Amino acid sequence: MRLSVEKTLKMYVGGKFIRSESGRVTKTQSSDGSTMYAAHASRKDLRDSVGVNRKAQGGWAGRTAYNRGQILYRLAEMMEGRVGGFPTTDADRIAAIDRAVHHAGWTDKITAVLSSLNPVGGAYVNYSMIRGMGVIVAIPHPEDGLVGLVESACQILVMSNAGTLLIPTEMAELGAAFAECLHTSDLPGGALNILTGDVEALLGEADKHDDIDALLVSNGAVPKAAWSASKEQGARVLRRLVMSGRAAQPAGPETFAKLCEVKTVWMSAAPEVPAGRVSY
Amino acid sequence: MSDASPHRLRIAGAIDFASSPESTPVTIPSHVGHYIDGAHVEGQQEGRFDNVNPSNEEVLCTVASANDAEVDQAVRAARAAFDGPWGAMSGADRGKYLYRIARRLQERAREMAVLESRDNGKPIRETRDFDVPTAAAHFFYYAGWADKLDYVMPGRKARPVGVCGQVIPWNFPLLMAAWKLAPALAAGNTCVLKPAESTPLSAWALAEIIHEAQLPPGVVNIVNGAGATGAAIVGHSDIDKVAFTGSTPVGRIILRQIADSNKRATMELGGKGAHIVFADAPLDQAVEGVINGIFFNQGHVCCAGSRLLVEESIAEDFLGRLRRRIEALRIGDPLDKNTDIGAINSAEQFATVQKYIGIAQEEGAELWQGCANEPPSNGFWVKPTLLTGVSQTDRVVREEIFGPVLAVLTFRTPEEALKKANNSEFGLSAGIWSGNQARIFEVAHALNAGVVWANGYNLFDPTSPFGGIRHSGFGREGGIHGLYPYLRLEA
Repeated sequence: MRLSVEKTLKMYVGGKFIRSESGRVTKTQSSDGSTMYAAHASRKDLRDSVGVNRKAQGGWAGRTAYNRGQILYRLAEMMEGRVGGFPTTDADRIAAIDRAVHHAGWTDKITAVLSSLNPVGGAYVNYSMIRGMGVIVAIPHPEDGLVGLVESACQILVMSNAGTLLIPTEMAELGAAFAECLHTSDLPGGALNILTGDVEALLGEADKHDDIDALLVSNGAVPKAAWSASKEQGARVLRRLVMSGRAAQPAGPETFAKLCEVKTVWMSAAPEVPAGRVSY
Repeated sequence: MSDASPHRLRIAGAIDFASSPESTPVTIPSHVGHYIDGAHVEGQQEGRFDNVNPSNEEVLCTVASANDAEVDQAVRAARAAFDGPWGAMSGADRGKYLYRIARRLQERAREMAVLESRDNGKPIRETRDFDVPTAAAHFFYYAGWADKLDYVMPGRKARPVGVCGQVIPWNFPLLMAAWKLAPALAAGNTCVLKPAESTPLSAWALAEIIHEAQLPPGVVNIVNGAGATGAAIVGHSDIDKVAFTGSTPVGRIILRQIADSNKRATMELGGKGAHIVFADAPLDQAVEGVINGIFFNQGHVCCAGSRLLVEESIAEDFLGRLRRRIEALRIGDPLDKNTDIGAINSAEQFATVQKYIGIAQEEGAELWQGCANEPPSNGFWVKPTLLTGVSQTDRVVREEIFGPVLAVLTFRTPEEALKKANNSEFGLSAGIWSGNQARIFEVAHALNAGVVWANGYNLFDPTSPFGGIRHSGFGREGGIHGLYPYLRLEA
């Protein structure tokens, strides 16, 4: 019998496959039962990942909505090409690919659904438009498998955010396969990172971080006490805490509305500058 | 609008204004209690406090302070109304109740304006022309949404959230009550509202209007009190949604208090708005805008343009115009129709503003204060204040003062202006003055703020969503987005 080559799964940060800066790995089992190892993210890995997200977010949001849609569709194409490579059920594979196609179509439409033109009194064109929040740390529900990963990733990316998915070691093989698709989908490096390890511990580190704009957790993915702690810590920086539904249904506009900021602009629309309501 | 030329201003300064007090009679009760389950109640004896007119320090009335039991009564009444008549009512009928409130507010507008002015210290010109009409407009706007909620989010059914606990500040007492109640009620929720402790009168009058409009008992409950009462509302186990407008530190306390619950929250918190004036701006109009940005309501405005960023090439000229214009502002009796600058709302806030003026001097800022006249001897007054020679790192540039104090900085390029404007942990509002529309678009869209005014400032409209990013809070009030926080949007 041939001696197998034991693989160590890496994480995906900044468009690169990396080991934990700590060198730490966790022993786990591959889907075929053989032994494998997965990188175990440290506190510094999280901080690095979020820093990379921050640098990448402006570039991702600066792409045209059309281009972002093309890239998410490309993600579906890459997944379809590797459909046999995902250690999950057939139903999950199909649902995940179709979900990526579904969300790819949102990038250039969600702005029209969630923005408004407001008929104010006064010589202003008044509009409220949506903007990405910035950097989001997300936790998909482990039981949602590949479609859960796609759902969380797309919720972040559709709204022009950058983010980091936190997944448990047991999902590392699936996460690595998904990362390979992200890597070949033309997604700019750093727009979406994946860290593996102790999700709750990483969430605890995220809670202490001051430069994460939102936490996005799939309903039930973390214990209630951990979520309460995140809310309590998040108050320090007025962090947005979003609990989304499980991945069985795709996120709709009501979820996307929680992953963006609404910005209202009063654009002067008269050659003469209009007076305010209360003049001095 | 006045002509800002120096010539005209000299004449204005030379003539004594005859006083022109607003004379609409108002009834101020000797004691303000609560409005719970459709009834005005006196409230417990314990903890009652005086409500002071900030323009003369005379006691207007005593105010009750609701304890946990009274808050519980209000929340139970709100729950019963939600489970009962209000929950069962058609959207069209809910809307009609809101229209009634709007109409009664308009009909009692002058009285409401006087009441608000006496209670808050703000000029009658502002309460008459801004606070009251905008509050009525808010009820009118959301009244029309009540039967159209399924159009708010495509493909989703809209359902109310439940019982809302709403805590509002003293700077726009009636308007903030309208901002909170109108969308909540239109969406089918019931409310427990707490006015600020220093400004209970307009909410008390609003309760009368709500009573006259015959809203079912318990739909709107108004309880008075200070921080402990607010905490009792926010912390009550049967509150589904918390809406707060106030300071960022208090917002944090509330968020921590409700962290271990499923309560929803919206937070309208502090700000340090940047007001950018480019060299190509229409300067006299920009002067009016900057004054409106920081001295409107004595600077007691969360979105006040408290940081002026003026292009270096015009800074001297612009500041000269600004000072001349400020020297024509009249400070004093809020009920006088000529008054531009009213009283600081309370002794506490007066102390805060004075503290920051002291900090500014310690930080080496150059202090300039001006006005057309001397303020009265009684009451809490701060003349319009400019701070020059300040830098990005100064506390008076970074922290919210919530008073008539403008920090002045300069810039050379649009990039520098943007960098300085965005260098703040807040993100509520910003303003731009320029004659170059392309530049306005570029800068407006690059500013990190929830609201941006181009060639204007401190403009509000019920159709226009308002709210902040970062430490200025989350959630929007006004417009279609103002309904999101008050609805469950389900497939």
